[in-house]
Amino acid sequence: MKLKKSLLAATSAVLLLSACNNAEGTQGEDSAETASEKVNETGMPIVDEQIQLKFFADRAATTHEDWNDVMIFNEYEKMTNIDVEWEMVPTDALAEKRNLALASGTLPDVFHSADISNLDLLEYGQQGVFLELNDLIDQYAPNLKKLMNENPDIKKGITFPNGKIYSMPTIYEPDFLSVLDGARPWVNQEWLDKLGMENPETTEEFYQYLKAVQETDLNGNGKQDEIPYGGTVIDGLVGWIKGSYGLGNRGIRHPYIDVDSDSDELRFFADDEEYKQMLQYINKLYSEGLIQQNIFSIDYNQFLANGAQNIYGSTVFHNTISLFGEEVGSKFTGGNALEGENGDKMYTDLGSSLAGMGGFVITKENPNPAATVRWMDYFYSDEGAKLFFMGLEGETYQETEDGEVEYLDKITNSPDGLTMEQELAKYMTWLGGGYPGIVKQDYFKGSESLPSSIKATERLEPYIPEEIWPAFTFTEEESRRFSALATDIEKYVKETRDKLITGEISFAEWDNYVQTLQDMGLEEYMEIQNAAYERFKNS
Amino acid sequence: MTTANLEIDKKQKERSKIHKLLRRFKNSWQLYLFLLPALTFFIIFHYLPMYGVQIAFKDFYATEGIWGSPWIGFDHFTRFFDSYYFWRLLTNTLLLNLYQLALFPLPIILALAVNELRNGAFKKWVQTITYAPHFISVVVIVGMIVAFLDTITGLANHMITSLGGESVPFLTSPEWFRHIFVWSDVWQTLGWGSIIYLAALAGINPELHEAAKIDGATRMQRIRYINIPGILPTVVVLFILSLGNFMAVGFEKVLLLQNNLNSSTSDVIQTFVYESGLLEGQYSFASAIGLFDSMINIILLITVNQIAKKTSDNSLW
Repeated sequence: MKLKKSLLAATSAVLLLSACNNAEGTQGEDSAETASEKVNETGMPIVDEQIQLKFFADRAATTHEDWNDVMIFNEYEKMTNIDVEWEMVPTDALAEKRNLALASGTLPDVFHSADISNLDLLEYGQQGVFLELNDLIDQYAPNLKKLMNENPDIKKGITFPNGKIYSMPTIYEPDFLSVLDGARPWVNQEWLDKLGMENPETTEEFYQYLKAVQETDLNGNGKQDEIPYGGTVIDGLVGWIKGSYGLGNRGIRHPYIDVDSDSDELRFFADDEEYKQMLQYINKLYSEGLIQQNIFSIDYNQFLANGAQNIYGSTVFHNTISLFGEEVGSKFTGGNALEGENGDKMYTDLGSSLAGMGGFVITKENPNPAATVRWMDYFYSDEGAKLFFMGLEGETYQETEDGEVEYLDKITNSPDGLTMEQELAKYMTWLGGGYPGIVKQDYFKGSESLPSSIKATERLEPYIPEEIWPAFTFTEEESRRFSALATDIEKYVKETRDKLITGEISFAEWDNYVQTLQDMGLEEYMEIQNAAYERFKNS
Repeated sequence: MTTANLEIDKKQKERSKIHKLLRRFKNSWQLYLFLLPALTFFIIFHYLPMYGVQIAFKDFYATEGIWGSPWIGFDHFTRFFDSYYFWRLLTNTLLLNLYQLALFPLPIILALAVNELRNGAFKKWVQTITYAPHFISVVVIVGMIVAFLDTITGLANHMITSLGGESVPFLTSPEWFRHIFVWSDVWQTLGWGSIIYLAALAGINPELHEAAKIDGATRMQRIRYINIPGILPTVVVLFILSLGNFMAVGFEKVLLLQNNLNSSTSDVIQTFVYESGLLEGQYSFASAIGLFDSMINIILLITVNQIAKKTSDNSLW
């Protein structure tokens, strides 16, 4: 008897499980029509009767572990009458968790700062998993609409070839350059002075400087431990140098294509002669020991520790003061855009004002899409940006006499002995992750808006390309084909770049590399890019 | 006898068969109960999910679900076989596994050696020391590897340079990857792997040894002619089992040790599946690759099992 019962229990458990699986499979129909949504068209609160929404959010290590307890969102809840229940996902597991949520169909109401790729936006948008936002933005997002009208690139960038918009973007104020370039080059001014050298203006001068650093005991500790160029990835240096060879002149949203200055056509530059020259130059630096030899495997904390010991002659990073500490960091000054051997002088390692597209997506499970759009739209306004980045007046910031805003003393000099970042994390969440909204120079107090960063960026300003594009969007057919091609090609390009730089393979292999790219379907890859470019140009 | 009678007879026989079965159940239901959790576990976590394998032959759309997505046949397989990385992935996976397999005798040697130790305290000490690394997690192991082998700060390179040599970029050279991976694994699993052999050795009848001693056999001879044949069945079964995991390299460790520079030897099928499946969300493609991986495994397992069956009397089934 007992056996029968337990068998029964087991079988029913099994049946139940498979039933669940089937239910997942049939959830295809749109269930989230906005039939009778009660939402106030303007003003606060957004809804009269409180509603609850579930947000899936990326939690960068620098932000509070539970955004339900963060001041600004609690404050915003009072304003809007929308109670957001934040489901936090650590950045390391973000891609996995997000993809699993999408594939299994257990969706939140909103994906917030979840860095959803353009390919996914289109794919899940067309499937109806993500809601189409064109009309909702038109009706309920006056602030975003204004930004899109002022800056047509934003609208072009977020609209897919089928004319639809599936996400609300991250926007950087167009003239806030130091946030557009993210990281920037730095050189050790103290060492330059000791060596009697000027801040390098050309790649040759840069080489001479690095050479001098290598040969001199500049930090005076009696050891030859100076590292001419240090970093955690080689991409920083490549980003700095590529402009010296005229490469990447449409910005970092297009890491492998740009516009050929001679023919004015789209080009894949990672098999270009100038790209080869650039790699040869970097290879020279690496093989002569001018680049930190473990740059490909170094741990981030090791890098910071090295930096704090004052052994780096140059680096590419957000800000040296916030990374290496005041004492060592302030010895650094911004690096120049370097003139390359062919006379090109550009700095191309910066992104478009449309910084990201995958930051805010509403799913079909959301019963209140209009209210959700209004919830988000506030953060595109001046007030909203202020709330997001500065918090509340009197609570976290104050206005100075000349109209500037600054954090209160209890944040900058924590009474509990915390760093400013740790203190800030209690009140707001902008310290990490690809949050949606607008980033303004007036309110953004990250390392990008530190005086040294602004000054360093000013050096680069005259040399940045006129046109910086947002990422292209593809049709579904294109994107399926493209993702297969791009996975292989881009992986191969990155690997080969690093191997050529370290000398693991020699430049005699170059023709082989170019040929392999062709074999991998580069032609088709470029056809798709060109089609997307044509649409971008003409839209 | 008429056909009707025959029918009745058959039915009766069947009934008595069922009866017998029920009686067996009744007599030893405790045993079946013990079996139940394992059975349920396998059904729920190993057999039911298998229905998802079909997405390898489908164009998977989350909204359509697994059943609803359209069939596309072998497209994903063709894409994988035509991929630039196919041969590299396959050879890397195979070589890494063959390397590991070649070191299969090491725990046996350790077990034979430890078995000869007569001093109890020393024996325990050796065993504890060799087991201990087994309990360290992969992430920590990789952290230790990096700390030891880093080009500039690593202990190994400090020693090399202080002896006048040039520092070796262990972590970023493709030629070092396999050695690092396999030998760190040996270090970690050697002691643990020898436990079963030690147990098998303990099961050998001591009279055999006594008789051999009286006949004047040396220690080496006794190992050669008593211990090794004594544990051979265990060795064969464990060998077949380890082949069952042939394509399943320690995936996390590969992923953690991988970088652009050593990828020409460190890129294996499983990391590729992780990248294209979980990170890029190409589920169907990743399932196809995973399925291919499993197929190789099954073929290997069956072949080796058949060979073992023919040549010795030991096999899994």
